[in-house]
Amino acid sequence: MRFSLSLVILMLVCSGAQARSLAGTSDMLLRATDRSLNFTSDTTTSIRDMKLIQAARDDAASFIASDGAIRTVQLEAALQSLREQLPEAREATDAALAQAILAH
Amino acid sequence: MRPLLLTLVWLLASVPAHAELRLQLDSAGLTPAEQHVSQALLDEATAALPPRFIERLDIDVTVRWSPDLPAQAYGQADPRAQQLELNAALLPALLDGSAQKPTSRPHGSQRRELLATVLHELTHLYDRAHLQSPEERLLAMHCRQQHSSRGVIGQSDACRGQSQRRLTLADDPRLLDLAGWQERAGQRGERDHSNDQIDRSPDSYELSNPREFVAVNMEYFLLDPEYACRRPALQRYFKEHFDWAPTSQTPCRNGLPYMNAGRDFARQPLGSIDPQRVYEVDYFFADANEQWMSRWGHGMLRLVICAPDRPLGPDCRLDLDQHLVLSYRAFVGDVQLSSWDGLTGNYPSRLFVLPLDQVIEEYTKIELRSLNSVPLLLNREQIEQLLQQTAQLHWSYDGGYYFFSNNCAGETLKLLRSGTNHPQLRSLDTILPNGLQAMLGTRGVADLSVLDDRQQALRLGYRFDSFRERYQAMFQVLQERLPIPQGSVEEWLDLPASQRRLWFAQADLRSNAALLLLEQAALRRQLLLAQDELKRNYLNPSAATENAAWEQASQTLQNLLGESGFLSRPAQLLDSGYGLPQDSEWQTLATQSDSHQRQLRLLSEQLEEQIRLLLEPARLAELESGKANLQQLNTRLREQHKASGGLTL
Repeated sequence: MRFSLSLVILMLVCSGAQARSLAGTSDMLLRATDRSLNFTSDTTTSIRDMKLIQAARDDAASFIASDGAIRTVQLEAALQSLREQLPEAREATDAALAQAILAH
Repeated sequence: MRPLLLTLVWLLASVPAHAELRLQLDSAGLTPAEQHVSQALLDEATAALPPRFIERLDIDVTVRWSPDLPAQAYGQADPRAQQLELNAALLPALLDGSAQKPTSRPHGSQRRELLATVLHELTHLYDRAHLQSPEERLLAMHCRQQHSSRGVIGQSDACRGQSQRRLTLADDPRLLDLAGWQERAGQRGERDHSNDQIDRSPDSYELSNPREFVAVNMEYFLLDPEYACRRPALQRYFKEHFDWAPTSQTPCRNGLPYMNAGRDFARQPLGSIDPQRVYEVDYFFADANEQWMSRWGHGMLRLVICAPDRPLGPDCRLDLDQHLVLSYRAFVGDVQLSSWDGLTGNYPSRLFVLPLDQVIEEYTKIELRSLNSVPLLLNREQIEQLLQQTAQLHWSYDGGYYFFSNNCAGETLKLLRSGTNHPQLRSLDTILPNGLQAMLGTRGVADLSVLDDRQQALRLGYRFDSFRERYQAMFQVLQERLPIPQGSVEEWLDLPASQRRLWFAQADLRSNAALLLLEQAALRRQLLLAQDELKRNYLNPSAATENAAWEQASQTLQNLLGESGFLSRPAQLLDSGYGLPQDSEWQTLATQSDSHQRQLRLLSEQLEEQIRLLLEPARLAELESGKANLQQLNTRLREQHKASGGLTL
């Protein structure tokens, strides 16, 4: 049963390795629930669709929870992008925008 | 004394004044018509050669039609007799014009093949003549002296690979770098014996050795108007060497084609990188962790690509959704990752192009490792050439992967060295990824000072912290704001989802934000436990491995891996053309990659379903419960935000 064994090793061990087939296949289990981790909403607008904003959601949460102490580049990128695209975002504080990202 | 010496050498080199290559047709036994077509062929060959080639190769070469060559051979050169022989069996077709008919041969017709043969064989003569420019002659003299007094160990960077040279081109370290006979890491300039740039070769004969590589590539440099588009780095090398290039050049396709190996199977994987839009290239290094494969960390490159409407500048560092990561990884196609196979190089090493956010997530959230991203101090020319070399390797390279001698740091270093030709990289010997970061800093190739201020580094994306610390910080927020009895983050995560949920109702915005991250951590923890469970149930030799559901999932995974091969070896999608794909190949590429990607999407959805069936009911229930927690938190966060009248996106 070397065949099955090998697949399991690949699937179970490989997630921690730099050696992997393509990112994701190695940790299929983790991938399988990605959709639940990356919360998606039923309505969409162009801003909500923006990858930068979606990717910054965890970082917005960290920023708010830590009262501004944890400030990552993902959050900076989302803030810059919002201020470039939304006139009303230009006047808003970082905290207000972070809350909007978290709630979007 | 130096200028005088140079002048002297120059004088020596440039005498006699009108020396040049002469091709003499051996007309014995040829009819006037045969002489005529033969001479026309030789004239055309001479006209195709670079002027400097003709000036420097000061010899008379006799060209004759030989009846003694093997049937398959077009011709051969005899360097001692300074003679070039062409296969006499091909003469009749040349005479009656049928040699002009299009064929499936790489050069298009039999006559073009003959022309290429003359150029190929003449290149061998040129190569063997060890022709040096005055500067090269001085360098060689200096390096030979240095070699005899100090030996290999004491040689300077500039002399690396220079003191023992015998050929004009085929033993030039720069040519060998570009061609694919790479220096081995840590072996003082010793080079690979085989060439792993095997895909999309115009003529696999070029891979036999560097001399044939030079001769074959000269054929294409001189005869193919698309050579500059398909092999830009080599075209530049020949152009610099001869200070000349053929006038007939096809305009190239804009941008460098690549396959995006990201896990979002819903997107078209075929993409194109415009070197003009790349602001910086970073050395991207993942810290070591406990697992043996990653004990030394993992070294990658990050391309800081600017958003389409942004001018090149520091702001591009925030266009995270545009950035790509180049990562050498073993392609595990159908075998297991055992330490033994990893050590012996049984997995092909391939260059993967991945979206930045995915790589960050994999390392910081899944593997709980930190990443450093330090800008390499490269000029525009070095960046552009590095990208060209990257594309060249992406479309041609399929190397053996050795964890200890040919690991990711070795591969990344080779790519950097061959791509940038940076003088400080010539003698850089390291095989460990963490060693490479330090050495790049010491040699002034990377700017490590960006890491000095930790807060600033996190804010500007020079550093990405592991989520291990983040989860700890979130738990502290929870401890401060809610009267929870748990004393550590582990204890909190060990609680069943249904008990953690009890605290949601009294959480304020800050606590809720912290809870959101902790719930994600809890869900990932459940997944790891599920993995362990699978390992116990199906890996155990005494357990029943003849489980039908398990066999099915295994088969799906196997298919998925097989199907994904094209992402890291895109050359598989094309059966014609060489080097970088051009317009004529684009449509096929787009269609093919799209249909493979659809298949991948299907298989990955199947696998998800099949794996669910393998999990124990209690585990599955806890996973579902964790997901429900996340949903609930998201709803609460949105309600709280709405109630506070905050900005809505």
